[in-house]
Amino acid sequence: MLFYTTDHLGRPVAEKKNLSRIFRLKEAVQKANPGICTDRSDIWTSYHKIPDNRKKSPHIRIAEALREVLMYKKIHIYPDELIVGNYSSKRVGGSIFPELHGVPVLLDIFKFSKRKVNPLQVSGKETWKLLKIIPFWSFRFLALKAYRSPFQLIRLLIHQLKGHFYIINESGGISHIAPDYAKLITVGTDGIVAEATRFQEKSGKDTEKWYFYEAVKIIANALAKFGDRYADLAQKMAESESDSNRKQELLEIAQICRNIPRKGASSFQEAVQSLFFAQIAINLESLDNSVCPGRMDQYLYPFYLKDIQHHKLTRDKAKEILSAFSIKTSEIIPVFSEYLTKIHGGMFNGQVVTVGGLQPDGTDGTNDLTYIFLEIMDELRMRQPNYHARISNHSPQKYMDQINQMLSGGSNSPALYNDTVIVDTMVQHGYSIEDARDYTGVGCVEPVAQGKSFSSTDAALVNVPLILELALNQGKRFGSWFRSGAKSMPVEKMQSMDDMKTAFEVQLADQLSRLMKDLQAIEIANRKYHPTPLSSCLLDGCLESGTCSTAGGARYNFSGIQCVAPADTGDSLYAIEKSVFIDKKITLPALVEQLIQNLSDKQLRSYLKGIEKFGNDHSDADKWTVYVINKFTDELNRYQNTRGGRYVTGLYSVTLHEYYGRITGALPNGRKMGESFSSGISPSNGMDRLGPTALINSINRIDFTKTANGINFNLKFDSRTLRGSTGKLALKNLLSTYFRKGGMQAQVNVLDPAILLAAKENPDLYPNLLVRVSGYSAYFNDLSLEMKDEIIRRSSLTN
Amino acid sequence: MNKDEPVHFFNDNTVIFDIQRFSLHDGPGIRTTVFFKGCPLSCAWCQNPESQNVRPELIFYKESCIQCFDCRKHCPENAISDHSMLRFDPKRCTLCGQCVTQCLTNSLRMIGKKWSAADLLGEIYKDIDFFIDSGGGITLSGGEPLLQANFLFQWLPMVKEKKIHTTLETCGLANWMQIEKLLPWIDIVFYDLKHMNDSIHKKFTGCGNAGILENFSRLSRSKSGLQARMPVIPGINNSVENIQATANFLKSNHHFSIHLLPYHNLGEAKLKRMYSQQHPMNIAPQNSEQLKQTQELFEKEKIHAVLYD
Ligand code: SF4
Ligand code: SF4
Repeated sequence: MLFYTTDHLGRPVAEKKNLSRIFRLKEAVQKANPGICTDRSDIWTSYHKIPDNRKKSPHIRIAEALREVLMYKKIHIYPDELIVGNYSSKRVGGSIFPELHGVPVLLDIFKFSKRKVNPLQVSGKETWKLLKIIPFWSFRFLALKAYRSPFQLIRLLIHQLKGHFYIINESGGISHIAPDYAKLITVGTDGIVAEATRFQEKSGKDTEKWYFYEAVKIIANALAKFGDRYADLAQKMAESESDSNRKQELLEIAQICRNIPRKGASSFQEAVQSLFFAQIAINLESLDNSVCPGRMDQYLYPFYLKDIQHHKLTRDKAKEILSAFSIKTSEIIPVFSEYLTKIHGGMFNGQVVTVGGLQPDGTDGTNDLTYIFLEIMDELRMRQPNYHARISNHSPQKYMDQINQMLSGGSNSPALYNDTVIVDTMVQHGYSIEDARDYTGVGCVEPVAQGKSFSSTDAALVNVPLILELALNQGKRFGSWFRSGAKSMPVEKMQSMDDMKTAFEVQLADQLSRLMKDLQAIEIANRKYHPTPLSSCLLDGCLESGTCSTAGGARYNFSGIQCVAPADTGDSLYAIEKSVFIDKKITLPALVEQLIQNLSDKQLRSYLKGIEKFGNDHSDADKWTVYVINKFTDELNRYQNTRGGRYVTGLYSVTLHEYYGRITGALPNGRKMGESFSSGISPSNGMDRLGPTALINSINRIDFTKTANGINFNLKFDSRTLRGSTGKLALKNLLSTYFRKGGMQAQVNVLDPAILLAAKENPDLYPNLLVRVSGYSAYFNDLSLEMKDEIIRRSSLTN
Repeated sequence: MNKDEPVHFFNDNTVIFDIQRFSLHDGPGIRTTVFFKGCPLSCAWCQNPESQNVRPELIFYKESCIQCFDCRKHCPENAISDHSMLRFDPKRCTLCGQCVTQCLTNSLRMIGKKWSAADLLGEIYKDIDFFIDSGGGITLSGGEPLLQANFLFQWLPMVKEKKIHTTLETCGLANWMQIEKLLPWIDIVFYDLKHMNDSIHKKFTGCGNAGILENFSRLSRSKSGLQARMPVIPGINNSVENIQATANFLKSNHHFSIHLLPYHNLGEAKLKRMYSQQHPMNIAPQNSEQLKQTQELFEKEKIHAVLYD
């Protein structure tokens, strides 16, 4: 029997027969309707309803509550599974964290199954269960506890429910770690308990440290018992299994789960299974977002090598195990309210797996597992994990070629990371060279040291164009009487761009200082009410210092603040410089009046749109985007987070650029009210007109060693450009120049015919879509209807 | 540039109608292709009809015109017409460019812009890093770059001083003395052979082929980076007879390969947008089967034929 799967364009592809188990697993996960699981919220609530429990040290309370969840949540082993463990009671499901951002999410309860974007299945009984817990948590969730002053609280609620200037993700929990799974699979939970006991004996009873160690012991033991539950289940299932092969498999699974995560892993499969149990448990501890296995090809390699050498494992079997693991990571989804779905579309969980790159000693770390992972990401092409590949000066040619082959063939995994720039950036920010070389991405694009960083990389996202709006209107939003920013110079008095810059900097400083106040209250609340003992015992530094990661126990502590839409802001500043101070086409007050009128003067708008924009290798225009990013970073550098670390700039926006665009007025770059901003560091919508080399030159004007929280750079191609050996070679060369000249990260996207079809239906949607016609490129909108059809037809064909 | 002004073949500036970065198919590596305006031939199948005239030209995109007639308000010559196919009257238009800046929908565009040698060098130099890493460089295309040989005498040495690889795409119709003088600055020449029959050549391109074939022969004796190319125009030059004749010509010049450029009709869509004496040929682009046939015919004649995408 042949099993069919689909490629990135949805065409059926016949798969190799020996992988059929993997494709059955993939199909089961892809066909499952995502749903909400009430296990965690039910068990968490029952535990907290007992008043005595609420009086316990928060370390103990969280450890015990999580222990209850691991002991009593429903568990399953699905047909064909090699790696077992379920995040939720649904095949694909998500949990609710009522003590964190839970209540605002719960208020959406009746909308989950009906909404258009990312609907979630929830039965009548489950709805009732969720409704029942609302009253208990209404006055107990984190954000409420963070703000004791009613004024700040009201502002927070308004911000969080209708974030205009910034959105603080940290109020929903922190997460965003790459745990030290190498440690777990080496010493097991027993090793961790032993270590915690040693430290605990040296600290006085009933001290904060003592409780922290106690909590670590509780949760480490609970994780071992979680494994036992699967061992029992597998044993029981084996007894009634009629298929003798499967029976044997189940017996092996039982044996594995009996051994790990309690002990160090004695085989490759045990190692993968052990870390997957921890992966589930950490996702249930605080926020289920961006818990990242990280550099799996590095820390699993010794186990792989040993099994291969002892003939206990074949390459194919290892690939099957890792494929099974990979599919498992797609079984979890975040439960967002409708409002949050708008902000973070696409059910993105941010579980990053990183392959390749340097080892701590500076030599290349590419190995057999690296290649196995590359094959897996190309063959599976699923939503999760988020696969990253590191590129260094020492990356072997074979590795580069294989990645190139995948990307030019239309796979949008892996995203590429430049070791030279990232290691340098991390060292400049205080990492040791060895730890920097051992980095992995977390979440979307944020570099951290594996097992050593506790960086709230997605702490907050700032709407930067709105800060410019305040600067143009003395701290008020257009059309508002209420001052939401600081008082700055009125536009009537501005004589030069220096005045404009001063006003912008005043507003920027003011918004960031407000953000810091709100954010630091949340940081403290996380530390006080939601410590994370399980995450902490897998982060270097916490056990030694006896301090939870939420309180700064980890070796490295950063917080990432995202600068959203720097190009829209930079282009607007350049448009002001050009139209008001160079061309003298319009006065600044008249321009502002037009912005308030939403650029109703078509002539003016077209003139503004025609002014050079970031992304076209135009140094005068580009320098303003660079200015915005640098000022943002300088301002952040004035603060320190409550865990003793720095705030660092990130240049990615998830899907928030779209949301922020919708709520922000017209801008001097010609963008009208409500139109989307550009994503990450992309040029403002479709404004890169000169192709990828010009775009790369513009992007590389940014000093990425200053954007330590990472960047997101999308390189888009139509499928014909990358066809054949010429296309592949061009992509390879393009990326090597980009990286050699200081590029930090890149993600390659091949436009599929659906986009071309949409562009044909609605030309305004993609004003500058470049396509290859025949040996050269043309703007799609410039083509005749017949030619468009021809291009669409051809782009649907493979090589 | 006013259209009544006589055209000089400037020494230090030239008319360029497009500069395309990230070109992949006109020579090795990542290239910047510079499209010179003006051509001595006027091929009926020309894919860049806007390149033929050496002067700047106005073109009109009727698809995006919203008939607001803002252009009319600003035209000093009263040259804006109501005609739905061509918004301006070429007899009156002086190419002043006023309407272009007024049109909000970008439906009127000026094709061709003057460039000085220094500016053009600066422009292509922007991608120097990509040239270095990919083994790429610049490609002179058009139009016919050799029509602006006086400019190239001055400009190409500047390019070469920056160690940039150069490719020339030519129709071959030029003064041999000029070609010879330029050769030291050019690494690769892509040379178009359109038809072996002199009268057919004349009928479809406006000129006979004698000078072109002679220049090819001379080049093949003196230039190592020479590569013959043929635009495959269905029904015009893909007959067995012409392919055999072409193959024999190549062999007599000790040249054993040819690059085949498939015909497409994008040029015709452009034709409608400008004032041109030319008429669309209404030829359907050939499918890959037909192209393969042409390729096989060459191979049978022992000429290695490379099919372009
Ligand atoms: S200004 Fe442009 S859109 Fe308006 S009529 Fe003239 S060509 Fe058409
Ligand atoms: S370029 Fe435009 S504005 Fe100038 S004369 Fe011609 S049609 Fe009139």
